[in-house]
Amino acid sequence: MKRTAGNMKRTLMASEHRWIYIGSIVLLVVFAVIGIIQYTTLRETAKANDKADQLSKQLADAGYPVPDHDLIVRTLGDDGASLCRDPGNALVKAQAKAALVNGASGPGTRPVIADSEAISAASLAVSVYCPDKLGEFEKAYGGLKYDDTVKK
Amino acid sequence: MASMDVPAGGRDAAKAASPATSAARVPGKQYMSWLTLAFMTTSSVASLRAAPSMAVYGLAAVFLYVVPAIVFLIPTALVSAELASGWNGGVYRWVSEGLSKPMGFLAVWCQFAMTIFYYPSLLAYVASTFAYIIDPRLASDGLYVAIVIVVLFWTGVWVSSRGTKAVAGLASGGLIIGTLIPGAVLVILGFVFLGQGNPSAAPMDASHILPQWTGLASLVLIVNNFLSYSGMEMNAVHVSSLRNPDKEFPKSMFTAMGLVLLIFILPALAVSWVVPAHDLSLTAGVIQAFDAFFSYFNVGWLTPVFGVMLVAAALGGMLTWLAGPSKGLLLISRQEGYLPPFLQQLNRFGVQQNILVAQGLITTVIALLYAFIPNVSSAYWIFSVITTQIYLIVYLLMFAAAIRLRKTQPDHPRGYRAPALHVLCVVGLLSSLAALVIGFVPSSQFGGGSVLAYVGIVTSGLLLLGLLVPYLFYTLRKPSWRQHVDENPAEAGVDA
Repeated sequence: MKRTAGNMKRTLMASEHRWIYIGSIVLLVVFAVIGIIQYTTLRETAKANDKADQLSKQLADAGYPVPDHDLIVRTLGDDGASLCRDPGNALVKAQAKAALVNGASGPGTRPVIADSEAISAASLAVSVYCPDKLGEFEKAYGGLKYDDTVKK
Repeated sequence: MASMDVPAGGRDAAKAASPATSAARVPGKQYMSWLTLAFMTTSSVASLRAAPSMAVYGLAAVFLYVVPAIVFLIPTALVSAELASGWNGGVYRWVSEGLSKPMGFLAVWCQFAMTIFYYPSLLAYVASTFAYIIDPRLASDGLYVAIVIVVLFWTGVWVSSRGTKAVAGLASGGLIIGTLIPGAVLVILGFVFLGQGNPSAAPMDASHILPQWTGLASLVLIVNNFLSYSGMEMNAVHVSSLRNPDKEFPKSMFTAMGLVLLIFILPALAVSWVVPAHDLSLTAGVIQAFDAFFSYFNVGWLTPVFGVMLVAAALGGMLTWLAGPSKGLLLISRQEGYLPPFLQQLNRFGVQQNILVAQGLITTVIALLYAFIPNVSSAYWIFSVITTQIYLIVYLLMFAAAIRLRKTQPDHPRGYRAPALHVLCVVGLLSSLAALVIGFVPSSQFGGGSVLAYVGIVTSGLLLLGLLVPYLFYTLRKPSWRQHVDENPAEAGVDA
């Protein structure tokens, strides 16, 4: 078969695209492996267990469903994880505000009036894990407008 | 998926007489399958990112997706299926033919402009998901966030500049790896959870089918959910990459419609079965919510894998948005000289590289402001209000154009005729108008600020970016900027 300029270009393009696909897959796999290693190196501590017990009690007292103990340990660790990590930080606030949105996941994403309990459980967690940051947390999120949009 | 893209200069002139009819295969012209286009459309619109936030509403999430689907998704999908089966080029062409060329430019400008503010917020989400995988402390580090946004965006520009084929392959792959597979895993695990005899965390009885009604806040939630389906028409700009566009585009659109509904509804329900709403509030993030989900099954190690998959889906979706509106903007600009010649230049793959680069420079500046200026990042959410308002202009124009085209060009060949088109268009117009009006109601993020100030900010943004900028391009245009291009453009195609 005669090899035309078009065929050669097509072959080059196919080869380049193949490398883009392979490179993407390799990167995804590498990050997944890093993530799994990071995930499994997190350890349960006595402090994490103690904090989880405290939060469970506070949630129960407030009338909220109490999550699984291990889940609290896993999610909040012994320091409150993302909840306590600089709650007044502009980027953290931006991400939190970006979560109070409609059901879109593309460019149709738009803020809504969130449920009044959107931050109540989180506020309890902050009071347990990092009470010194409760003021900062409430300053960042307490001033937002809420309403009862979730049927209880 | 083993062939090349061709420059726009190699467009299929044979389609000029009847653009939507099946054209004979022209040497060098490459095609994509209808399924690839369906995947690209799905990737543009839906992902699992919304599942945790909608799971909070429990069974009412079904209502919150189905009602908007009836009044917005179905009109958008059916009307754009008819238009794309009759005219190549996407929304600019439909509006140009139905209303006027300046209106066509306005439509595609609005579709393009609103993405500029979308990318930084999307990539900030990607950055925070990556941070969860590598080191969660990075999420609050401006330098890290800026680097992730800039590097990923420019990588996206580079991939897009290699042609539609690269975009089609990665977007389809991103959808499968990052949405369909993990979505199926979520739903299967959800059923396993119920099958083990566990009660659903969210009540699933008849009294929870409808969402809580609290007046304006509920109306805002329901109407804003119309926008969940925005973007369904965007990939119509690639319609001439199909071998048989008049038949295949409607098929592609209906497949995408079904996939979008499944992706939105089933995973959100599955999460609501397993993770109580208050726990979702505790988790403070999309990936953290999935961590809670997997922890119930003692497969928490899946969370970082899931995080990487979500990132793949987000980036695949971003690529479709990079490739779509900018191509529509190029096509009408070449015909009418709306953009300076520099921005109309194509690279060797026939891609509007200079438009992408210009967009990239603006996005880089916005990303740096987002990452380093606290006042910008804290107030960034308002850009999503403004940009969705701008996007609604596209739908108003599209539905109006569809009504007029049925009247002015009733005999123009259409591979698909939407049933009750006028009813669909009126419903779509009213839905779009309702969403536009609701966009002026202050959201949670605005707190107790002045309503007038909010309306003023949103109106100013809408007028400035959505009307003034395209008006300036229009008034400053020069006849010499026009390129000699086919009036019925068929784009460079791909094979997939």
